[in-house]
Amino acid sequence: MGENWFQREFLQPRRLAFNVIFYGLHLFFFAYGWHSQETNKKLSALNALTWSVWTSRGAGLVLAFDGGLILVPMLRNIIRVVRPKLTWLFPADENIWFHRQVAYSMAFWAMVHTTAHYVNFFNVERTQVRPEIALDIHYTQAGGITGHFMLLIMVLMYTTAHHKIRNQCFEAFWYTHHLAFFFMIGLYAHATGCFVRDSALPAYTAVFPFYTTDHCLGYESWRFTIWPGIIYFGERIWREIRARRATRLSKVLVHPSGAMELRIIKPSFKYVAGQWLFIQVPDISGLQWHPFTITSAPEDPYVSVHIRQVGDWTYALGERVGAGPQVVASMTKAALKGNEKDENIYGTRGDFVEIDAAGRALPNVRIDGPYGAPAEDVFNVEVAVLIGAGIGVTPFASILKHIWYRQKKGTLGSLKRVEFFWVCRDAPSFGWFQTLLQEVEAAQADPNFLRINIYLTQKISEDMLWNIAVNDAGAEYDPLTLLRTRTMFGRPDWKAIYSRMSQAIQSGQYLPGTNAQLKSKVGTYFCGPGVLAKAIKEACQEANCASVDFTFAKEHF
Amino acid sequence: MGNLVWHEYARYVSLTATVYTIWAAFFGIYYRKFFWDFVHGIVRAPGGLQPAASDGIFVSIIVKAPVVQLLNMVLGFGLLALDYPLPFLKNSAIHRSFPIRIVLLLLQAFFAILYYQGTNGAIYSIIAALCYTRAQLNGEVMPEAKDNKGRGGRA
Repeated sequence: MGENWFQREFLQPRRLAFNVIFYGLHLFFFAYGWHSQETNKKLSALNALTWSVWTSRGAGLVLAFDGGLILVPMLRNIIRVVRPKLTWLFPADENIWFHRQVAYSMAFWAMVHTTAHYVNFFNVERTQVRPEIALDIHYTQAGGITGHFMLLIMVLMYTTAHHKIRNQCFEAFWYTHHLAFFFMIGLYAHATGCFVRDSALPAYTAVFPFYTTDHCLGYESWRFTIWPGIIYFGERIWREIRARRATRLSKVLVHPSGAMELRIIKPSFKYVAGQWLFIQVPDISGLQWHPFTITSAPEDPYVSVHIRQVGDWTYALGERVGAGPQVVASMTKAALKGNEKDENIYGTRGDFVEIDAAGRALPNVRIDGPYGAPAEDVFNVEVAVLIGAGIGVTPFASILKHIWYRQKKGTLGSLKRVEFFWVCRDAPSFGWFQTLLQEVEAAQADPNFLRINIYLTQKISEDMLWNIAVNDAGAEYDPLTLLRTRTMFGRPDWKAIYSRMSQAIQSGQYLPGTNAQLKSKVGTYFCGPGVLAKAIKEACQEANCASVDFTFAKEHF
Repeated sequence: MGNLVWHEYARYVSLTATVYTIWAAFFGIYYRKFFWDFVHGIVRAPGGLQPAASDGIFVSIIVKAPVVQLLNMVLGFGLLALDYPLPFLKNSAIHRSFPIRIVLLLLQAFFAILYYQGTNGAIYSIIAALCYTRAQLNGEVMPEAKDNKGRGGRA
């Protein structure tokens, strides 16, 4: 894929720093754990087991570190608050990535730790330094039992978290990942009955934490690692409380492209453009929370999300609100045929249909959020390049609306221009987004402020080609999108786009009133598949020059 | 449970279980111990558990010579080749067969449960076998792999 493993991991300064610090800390903890065991005179009986006990202790300390770290990237509310202040330090939006790195290293060190302990207990039994057999330690003492349970939970959690399984069946991933609760309990209880002791028999006591530190000489690491667990648990409770605040589903609109728009009213819900939320519909499932991007602007009196019917849950939601697959399919067919083009003044294509609540009342909904996304920062740059691919366009609905509201108020910050790109495979899915784009486009007083570029990557049939060729010529609106902007076909050439933009800025044509002495900031905000992100990021880096600073941010789903 | 394709899930469990078992068998060669020696065994200090005389057959194939461990390792590598899969097995009839995997996984579990290090590998192998069984009962079939279908190229 263009760059090899070495280039990716070591030749990018940020990644290099991460690797050195993250894995350096792991190795340090391992070495320290090894050393502290080997040199501890009180544990000389245990040290007769030699390398295996030193290894297990070192790996144990590393695992305690990982166990404390694994929940930190999942503290969503804290990250949302902390992120704007710390963007310079670490990419907080990469929290899931970090969670995975910790998990990988946890799996590796768990292997080291377990292997070493298998050797330890084998030798304890053989030499009888303690009057017990290996299986006693494995299956009758707290450390052994919790350890084996944690390993089993890890097998289940890791396998269901594979991206393929997650895409197939989110529920399997979602429910299985909640085994983390038992995993963390196991982790905190793992040292109870302590293997690391100077007495022959386990030193249990009747009161919390059920062992005595007179004989237990472990790290007592649970005293530290339990805090992220407690904070995470508290955060989950806080999210539950917040989700229970008054929420009302006021409207359901179905767009011809098949997307449903839910308009929700929740006065206690405050957010900024480009953020996302979790939504729950108790009628469908009282346990599942599904993430969606907010498509309304903070200025709107409601919170809206656009939902495409693609999975189990979204189908069920469609059925529940009376916009099942048949309804949507017939609408999509109609949209495809093009019979929605009733020639009114704007030439609006098939408007949305409001589902009336006559038959059944609209279901209750609960929302949890908002959670951060990099696109909050658009007002800090001079030129914002917004790129959405397919359904990844949703955060930009909110942002474009928000920009439009701010434009009306005249509070645009340093933002001078907006380039909006939408890369999309098929024409019908343009539908719901189009009304919004029309509004925004029509409201532009300065023709240069917002430029909309739409790319259609689908292979088009000959009929369609002729249609476009004939209808497009000289028409005021694009025949496909009904925007003033022309639709382009094929994949965009990002390198050319960026280098042209860079040249235009340097020559002073692009941003009137700025001169080359000042460094202009061009921020790219992307939402869509990973391969495209990579191509755009490369183009961004290539276009970087002395007077123009190109930055890139990506959103994850 | 959603649209979970059981044999695709089972593959990940099977790979995990098999890698675990191979690693366990590797250590089982160096630290040889019959898992069930606590049944009727006596503890000697030092020396540890001495298996009962009736377990002589297991002692000779696990402790005296690591036959079970080696068999388990070979079997494990075979399963890995089948499940990963190796290029020449891809799209073959064996590769598409779930019953073969179920049998091999249960066999792997049977070997693994005999020696000290293999218990977890055995449990995970049984879980993988159950997942494959579920796939078989649901009538899932492994689709023929299409050519030139990687994880997606450059945009």
